[in-house]
Amino acid sequence: MTGTDPEYGHLVPLLEEYSALPADDPRREALRDQLVTGYLPIAQHIARRFAHRGEPLDDLVQVATVGLINAVDRFSPEKGSDFFSFAVPTISGEVRRHFRDQGWSMRVPRRLKDMHVSINGVVSELSQRLGRAPRPSEIAEQLGVPVADVLEGLEAAEAYRSSSLDEMLSSEQGSATVGELVGAADAELDRVDYRQALRPVLAELAPRERTIVMLRFFGNMTQTQIADQVGISQMHVSRLLAQTLDRLRNRLDPETRTG
Amino acid sequence: MSDKDSAGSATTVGGSSIVEVRTTARASFIPTIRAVASDLAARADFDLDAISDLRMAVDEACATLVDVAAPGSHLRCTFQVLPERIQVHAEVEATAGTTVSTDTFGWRVLQTLADEVAVQHLPGADGHATVGIVLDKRAGVPTR
Repeated sequence: MTGTDPEYGHLVPLLEEYSALPADDPRREALRDQLVTGYLPIAQHIARRFAHRGEPLDDLVQVATVGLINAVDRFSPEKGSDFFSFAVPTISGEVRRHFRDQGWSMRVPRRLKDMHVSINGVVSELSQRLGRAPRPSEIAEQLGVPVADVLEGLEAAEAYRSSSLDEMLSSEQGSATVGELVGAADAELDRVDYRQALRPVLAELAPRERTIVMLRFFGNMTQTQIADQVGISQMHVSRLLAQTLDRLRNRLDPETRTG
Repeated sequence: MSDKDSAGSATTVGGSSIVEVRTTARASFIPTIRAVASDLAARADFDLDAISDLRMAVDEACATLVDVAAPGSHLRCTFQVLPERIQVHAEVEATAGTTVSTDTFGWRVLQTLADEVAVQHLPGADGHATVGIVLDKRAGVPTR
């Protein structure tokens, strides 16, 4: 999508007109409605990208529309960028905030959500420095808080059902190294007896989930190493891995699994 | 950096302590058991990978055992918290001759997640047997 897309091309002059009008000009409201309606498909498109993550699509479309309205209001064409490159991150940001507030499967006090965010913030830095996953005591030291608070924050993490949208957006899979690592893991899978049962079930998984399972169970990598390779957080790898194992368990024939 | 050097610096429980959870052998209780597992690991200052690994390993072991458990029997899960490691012993009653096979993906998962894992079969009375999985998980790479 670009600013000259035929579907939206007619809106470009309106945007320029809108942003040039003084804040109290009576024509603003009608113009704004026209712009928001015209660009609505973008908001709907972004909302759909985040569907199936536990939040109803209608809510996501509403939140994305609020983001679109903000984008229309704040866009200034004279700065030279086109509307899309401004609107997409603005709308995604709004949806991201929504998930941050709503993405908990049970009511978790604000304090614990904040602690969870703080923990997530230092884990990758500590992992880099230590060359392994940090321990709760090390996280507590880094944050300057009691270990008990970190333990509570980690517990709260179990109630978090959606990964942050940054993670969803950033990791559509793909460095060459990941490919090579998966290739090696795949060769290892070829050596096991139950591969014939496992292959079709693995093939049903989303590419990233499949990659994570392969690297963990056939590539001999830790969650922290996988997180680094795939470009998501260790906690996100942990969640995806647990979910995927659960799914595999339900899909694999009990005969294959337990004999 | 050796295991022995690090043992003194660990802030884990001195000696060993035991936690035992017993439920009806039903899949719906497994989340409770795995929550106990990850809580114990976090309190024993396991690193984040090890906490998550233990949680998933307990999940896998219990799911495997629940599948072979005799109807109406119990799942008993004992956690022994030792310095820098936790040993888990999960067991169910099953009909005699029931086994947990080790050439499966589920077993691969257990072997990867735990540092050591083994099946235990104990013959019992009345055509019953106890089938168990013992797994050992270390707290992670030793700290300096």
